[in-house]
Amino acid sequence: MLLLLVGYTWVSHRQHQVNPDDTTIPSWSQMYKGVEKFIQPDQKEERWIVEDSIATGRRLFFGLGLGVVFGFTIGMMMGCITPIEAFLQPPISLLAKVPQTAALAVYFVFFGTGMEMYVAMIAFGIIPALAVTVYLAIKDLPSEMLDKAYTLGASHFEVATEVVFKQVLPKFIDAVRLAIGPAIVFLIAAEMVVGDVGFGYRIRLQFKLTNMNVVYPYLVMLAFFGFALDYCLRFLQAKLCPWYQRDSK
Amino acid sequence: MTAVEQHNFGLHCREVSHWFGDNKVLFDLNLKVDAGQFVALVGPSGCGKSTLLRAILGTDLPQEGEILTLQNGRLANADRPGRDRGIVYQKYSLYPFLTALDNVALGLKLDQTTTMFRWFNWSGWAKKQKEFRDRAAVFLDKVGLGQAMHLYPSQMSGGMQQRVAIAQALIMEPEIILLDEPFGALDEATREELQEMLLQFYEENKEAMAEGKKPPYTLIIVTHELNEAIRVGDRLVGLSQYWDWKVDGHQRSPGATVVYDKPAPVFRSDERPDYEMFADIRHEIRQVVYNPEVLQQRDEHVNLSPTR
Repeated sequence: MLLLLVGYTWVSHRQHQVNPDDTTIPSWSQMYKGVEKFIQPDQKEERWIVEDSIATGRRLFFGLGLGVVFGFTIGMMMGCITPIEAFLQPPISLLAKVPQTAALAVYFVFFGTGMEMYVAMIAFGIIPALAVTVYLAIKDLPSEMLDKAYTLGASHFEVATEVVFKQVLPKFIDAVRLAIGPAIVFLIAAEMVVGDVGFGYRIRLQFKLTNMNVVYPYLVMLAFFGFALDYCLRFLQAKLCPWYQRDSK
Repeated sequence: MTAVEQHNFGLHCREVSHWFGDNKVLFDLNLKVDAGQFVALVGPSGCGKSTLLRAILGTDLPQEGEILTLQNGRLANADRPGRDRGIVYQKYSLYPFLTALDNVALGLKLDQTTTMFRWFNWSGWAKKQKEFRDRAAVFLDKVGLGQAMHLYPSQMSGGMQQRVAIAQALIMEPEIILLDEPFGALDEATREELQEMLLQFYEENKEAMAEGKKPPYTLIIVTHELNEAIRVGDRLVGLSQYWDWKVDGHQRSPGATVVYDKPAPVFRSDERPDYEMFADIRHEIRQVVYNPEVLQQRDEHVNLSPTR
């Protein structure tokens, strides 16, 4: 990390010796001005950072939330109910192969360019991967474990809720952690194309104006944002599944 | 079925035959287990012990014949895994997401409460859960794991895990408990400790019978160790494909069946048997059950007279 900072300072310093007005690799003082620009209110009395965070955060939250709920439910149903498995498995594995960023236009057509579009895009983008993860994790369960539950007096429903669910939950949380990356990619891509507010929109706009002193801090914030989300999920996993330790055995 | 019959009934396999395509596994197998018996099932590898166990469990139904257990007070076909039969595997024996205590209490919870009750009657469920955990704790104490009840399976040794698995099955007091090579992966010393533990349960059976009650634990233990079979079982059953099937008019071996069925010596849990004394029994079983050269009438060593 330190190496990165020192390296950047050096590269930026050299660039400014060649061209003092350079904005592609801004110096730290330029960077400070950039940060000031998005923290201070602009002419419309709006602070970019607040507006963008709220917009992007809400889109991501609802998109992820919907995707998580549906991905898990579909995966559970595919894993536990044979007719649904036969019915859903082919379309899900096909859908999983469609690149969401390439399907952007389809979402514009069906959902417009508002909140629904972002949410639908993120949700549809992560549902196949999440559902397949859950489905495969269920198929991976030794049948002994399920048979034993029946000998202990479980109903079909109880086998699903008391055995399958608890066994699959930590793997699902791992899958959600992995899905955050693609979800942010989809969202930023969509915002760059049609957004009027949000991280993707701001980065594209400021990049066009070669205001890299805004773009770099935004990227750093995005990284921290993803990291914080990942940390929360890891914390949740440790809380909900204390038995699940990747290191043991 | 009379009350007396119910009182003594454990399991009845009647004319069970099973094959996978051309591969004949079980042939006309008859086995009746009384309540309270500890049946040790031995046989050469590939003779169909596991197939029989899965048939009794109800996961692999036999092609012919029927397997009857007491289900809700009535004789019924064991055509799917159910509450009347318990199982202890060698692997996958516990639920990794539950502590030892909750693993043992799981059966009580699944059997005696419904999902609706647990989800919507929180105070009622909290009370029940405490009651189940208390009972499970008492049971774990009995198998010598009072200190370990809050550990997860991954934190326990193999021997401890099998103790919990046995407690998990036994606390339910099903009509019959199947143990599929339960100690196969354990070292000699641990095996012996666990054999002692099983014998303690056998003693509880004897106490119950002395009081005229139905013995709570009936089990079939599959093992490849003859000494273990002799020590734990009060009845030795040998399953083998090596018997004189030609006299029955078959062109080729029709599969394994019961070729040996005799009472076994009974030991107290604190008694270390002198295995030297059982050389005769071992020799007889090796000849009758394991030796492909020795083909005898299949009922020659089947002693169907009541074992007690």
